[in-house]
Amino acid sequence: MSKKILICDDDEGILEMLEMALYAEEHEISTEINSLKLIGRIRDERPDLLILDLWMPVLSGDQITRTLKEMPEYKNLPILVISASRDGEDIARKAGANDYLAKPFDIDELLKKVESLN
Amino acid sequence: MRVPALRGYENYMQNHTSTDQLPGDAGHSPDLPLIKAALDASVSGIIITDNQLPDNPIIYCNESFERMTGYKRIEIIGHNCRFLQADDRQQPERLKIRRAVQEGEHVSVEIRNYKKNGDLFWNELFISPVQAADGRVTHFIGVQHDVTRRKQAEEDLYREKELREQKIKERTLQLNASKEYLDSIIQTVRESLVVLGPDLKVIGVNRHFLNTFKVTASETEDKSLYDLGNGQWNIPKLKELLENILPSNNPVLDFEVEHIFPHIGKKLMLLNAYRVELEGEYRDRILLAIEDITDRRAIEQRKDDFLSVASHELKTPLTTIKGYMQILERLLPKDADEKLLEVVGKSTKHIERLNTLIKELLDVSRIQTGNITLHRERFDFDEMVRETADTIQNVSPKHRLVISGSTGIDYEGDESQLSQVVSNLLSNAIKYSPDSANIEVNLARVSDYVKFSVTDFGVGISPDDQRKIFERFYRASDTQKNYPGMGIGLYICEQIVSHHGGNLWVDSEHGKGSTFNFTLPIKQKTNE
Ligand SMILES: Cc1cc2nc3c(=O)[nH]c(=O)nc-3n(C[C@H](O)[C@H](O)[C@H](O)COP(=O)(O)O)c2cc1C
Repeated sequence: MSKKILICDDDEGILEMLEMALYAEEHEISTEINSLKLIGRIRDERPDLLILDLWMPVLSGDQITRTLKEMPEYKNLPILVISASRDGEDIARKAGANDYLAKPFDIDELLKKVESLN
Repeated sequence: MRVPALRGYENYMQNHTSTDQLPGDAGHSPDLPLIKAALDASVSGIIITDNQLPDNPIIYCNESFERMTGYKRIEIIGHNCRFLQADDRQQPERLKIRRAVQEGEHVSVEIRNYKKNGDLFWNELFISPVQAADGRVTHFIGVQHDVTRRKQAEEDLYREKELREQKIKERTLQLNASKEYLDSIIQTVRESLVVLGPDLKVIGVNRHFLNTFKVTASETEDKSLYDLGNGQWNIPKLKELLENILPSNNPVLDFEVEHIFPHIGKKLMLLNAYRVELEGEYRDRILLAIEDITDRRAIEQRKDDFLSVASHELKTPLTTIKGYMQILERLLPKDADEKLLEVVGKSTKHIERLNTLIKELLDVSRIQTGNITLHRERFDFDEMVRETADTIQNVSPKHRLVISGSTGIDYEGDESQLSQVVSNLLSNAIKYSPDSANIEVNLARVSDYVKFSVTDFGVGISPDDQRKIFERFYRASDTQKNYPGMGIGLYICEQIVSHHGGNLWVDSEHGKGSTFNFTLPIKQKTNE
């Protein structure tokens, strides 16, 4: 099933690669490198899934997750956190993320998670 | 014995030749033979010298004098008595006698004399002048005793006393030297040292202590440790150490105490405490060595932080590369060139290795600094092993992992770290048995331990290597060329297992395969 996916990561390379990988699966992809603009993008684009990095300048992934999970209109938006941080999973789950994937990840695994998150 | 100056010999005649006669013995007095007999019976040597003749020669000696000196009368009469001094002429007593003789006075000395056979004897000598009516000293009478024995005893006593004093001096010197030596060691050590009395009063501290804690010796010595610097050493944990732990656990090593000092701020200290148990002066003194590890900890933390950031940054492009590699695999047509497929496959493998290395780098750093923190939670041990084995099985289709047995334990420990251990051991088993498909995993509960073991039928490990494989950066020599890498995996495994209070070991025979085992205590008693 095709999904509208918004990806936020402060690394250009990751964004490009993910766009290509998910696009091949006929998902509709948009990317955002600046986490400060993310909530605005969500409001405008109404994605089905958010893929979110943790360590980003100024506004980190767990902060965004917490904020979104507290907003009634977005609290049901599934969030998949991806991170290269050792304690990433712990941080993500505590913040309320729906799922987690450690960088570097397997594309197959990513696709499986994308599929299962509704 | 004091011989009074004799008078009445003025009649002595110079032509008297028979010297075995008493001088003045002209047969006038019937008592004289008796007197002579009496003199010869005396144990004292007695002589008479004639002061009116040149050089004061001996004109009479009794028999005792002959016995005492070993000389015959013929060798004595006419000589000045100094012949008894032989070559020993530098004695101060000689001068004393000379002066007395010149002045015509009485004198008594103890002087070294020599018998005819050369033997030394100590001569206790009394000399008395004999005056004529006009006051001239005409004769001297000498009385001698051989006091060698007494002198010897005195000498011995003196020598012994000297010796003893010398010894005491030496011992004192030695003591001072060793005290100074010990002191210099204590003062040179780059660690703070405190010596406490049994009452916890400070007996002494070294310079490093004074410098580190910014105090002076007079502020510290003879004060109770807890009273130092307005009670800034009244630290509950230190009190616990000195009063409760040390009395029953002597010595105590590496006891960590953190404390905020008024002037110098927060200090992290590692203490060694030692109570002197030896009977004696120093009994029950306490030696306290304090290592300030505040800076070291901070540096370790910074290193850790750096490595965390570094590995995070390295993983980011790695994620991208890995992603593209997988996209590339998907894009390849089914009938793609063999070579191309091989290149893609190898690249994927090495990307995986790079990923492992980056992970290990951080792990080793954390383990080394003792910063390995366990997130303990209950988990199904067997399930964890099964899941981990599944993951490994998926990426190693050529091998067959077979699990037998079970522990049936909900183990309380760090699941992700133990899973890392299992995964490491399993992938090693696969790596080191390239030509043998079977890998056997066994789970068991043994007494109050869970036991995991994995057996491969591969290259095996020589006894020499077995001893070293758990060391950091060590790799079994045979496999070095075939499987290059840093080889810190087993080291990390060993550390994780021992942090859980467990034990990791290997049984192996070269050429036949290896079994890696670990046990974990079910009841928690870990050295976290
Ligand atoms: C009566 C008399 C007895 C003496 N007996 C001894 C003696 O037994 N042993 C000795 O060494 N000197 C003895 N002397 C001392 C020496 O004869 C001599 O006076 C002494 O060595 C000091 O003199 P000088 O410096 O000329 O030698 C005696 C002297 C006198 C007058």
